[in-house]
Amino acid sequence: MEKYDLLICGAGAAGMTAGVYGGRARLKTLILEKGVVGGTAYSTRELANYPGFYAEDVSGPFLMKQMAKHAERFGTKIIKENVIELDLEGDTKVVKCKKGREYGAKALILAFGTEPRLLGIPGEKELRGSGVSYCATCDAENFEGDIVAVVGNGDAALEEAMFIAKFAEKVIIIVIHDEGIVDCNKVSAEKAFKHPKLEFVWNTTLAEIKGDEEVESIVMRNLKTGENTERKVGGVFFYVGLVPQTACVKDKLEMNRQGYIITNEKMETSVPGVYAVGDCREKYLRQVVTAAGDGATAAVAAEKYLEEVEEYEDMLQEDKKILLGFWSPLSQLSIEALSRSEQIIAEYEDAAKLYKIDLSRKQMLAYKYEIKEPASFVLLSKNAVIDTLHASNPDTLEATLRTWLA
Amino acid sequence: MELLKLDIDSFEERIFKNGENCLVIYSRKTCKECKIIVPMLEELSELYTDGSFNFYRVDVEEQVPLYKRFPLKGVPSVLFFGQGQKLGKLAGMIEEEDVLEKIEELY
Repeated sequence: MEKYDLLICGAGAAGMTAGVYGGRARLKTLILEKGVVGGTAYSTRELANYPGFYAEDVSGPFLMKQMAKHAERFGTKIIKENVIELDLEGDTKVVKCKKGREYGAKALILAFGTEPRLLGIPGEKELRGSGVSYCATCDAENFEGDIVAVVGNGDAALEEAMFIAKFAEKVIIIVIHDEGIVDCNKVSAEKAFKHPKLEFVWNTTLAEIKGDEEVESIVMRNLKTGENTERKVGGVFFYVGLVPQTACVKDKLEMNRQGYIITNEKMETSVPGVYAVGDCREKYLRQVVTAAGDGATAAVAAEKYLEEVEEYEDMLQEDKKILLGFWSPLSQLSIEALSRSEQIIAEYEDAAKLYKIDLSRKQMLAYKYEIKEPASFVLLSKNAVIDTLHASNPDTLEATLRTWLA
Repeated sequence: MELLKLDIDSFEERIFKNGENCLVIYSRKTCKECKIIVPMLEELSELYTDGSFNFYRVDVEEQVPLYKRFPLKGVPSVLFFGQGQKLGKLAGMIEEEDVLEKIEELY
């Protein structure tokens, strides 16, 4: 197993930003990517609102290549590996890849991203690549002069439909909502409504795609009338949303019903040392800019976590009895209790050592010993917990400490 | 091993004139699925180093006339040839096993 300080699964905007921060913090950092370095943003032709990059010619691939260079400049490695299994149980998290290689690190950032949602209608799977497509950049030009259907009405659906219209004769946009309602940004929606080659079909879903070798026609169902209409088309592009690629951590991390990983504001998942960033986590806005923010946050949190782990490992090397004193600058009681315990420990300095832990900054040990509030103490002897106490009564604290230390 | 890229002349030579048993992956630089499938085929090609079956690649942006020769609806697409004939096709997000099965079935 190859060991690193920090492993990052996924080289999209979130993963690569984490790579920039990890590398810069001098952590030995590795990014594993199964497909394209650049993630979802790589297939975006125009990036309109990544701050500072507003020129017409700023494309997804351009920005993402810059991010990769940036991460690599700080010493982070990006390699091609398909992650299939994760072992999150131990202190070292182990990432297992398709070709049998394994990588380990004490901190792990998951930047799995999303993939297009499949509708699961007849013909969709069978004709994928033979007229059914999820990538206009890849396939639009094969439909020169054809009639093409686009399913969906979000940003991607309408923007890609206009791109496809550069090649196709006509683009039918299948919209589930009432007439005039789309989930797309206003600028693109207005452009799309005025576009001469775009035909909107409202209150409608796609029921079936027909064709032997290639797409020949589609069956659309009107939701108001229940009526089915068949139209001849050469291709169908799907833009009906995305699903997180989190199958390999199912049942290992807390997730919501849709499979997005739940994190706190530090990007921490339900397992200490494991972080989730970017489109695969539950969040409000999925954009390059928020992905980058996630990546930075997680890398800094991971760096602090690794410091704590290191301190803890050093502590376990001690022969002396250990007193962990959890405090917080916001708790006067904890400050006083810590000061008192410091004086007592000083009398027994050959036998015992005090470690002060500021709960407002460090949570790893608190998590490990299930400490919920400041002014708590854990007594350790040979790595085993002897006692846990809360210093609500300073006299009890002193008596307990003296008995233990004696 | 990197797959040999074909142009219109080498395609003519190997597929039609020599009638090689082979597959050709049609891909393009901006396609995400291609970036997963091309390396997969590169690895698979190492199982066939005896020359009984060859693996080639066509970049559809660099070889537009070649791309137009067979009516494909998207990339990645894999075409299988033998004795100067197109024998089969796989398209979309395919796995190693799909390719191996197809080779088994066709040759």
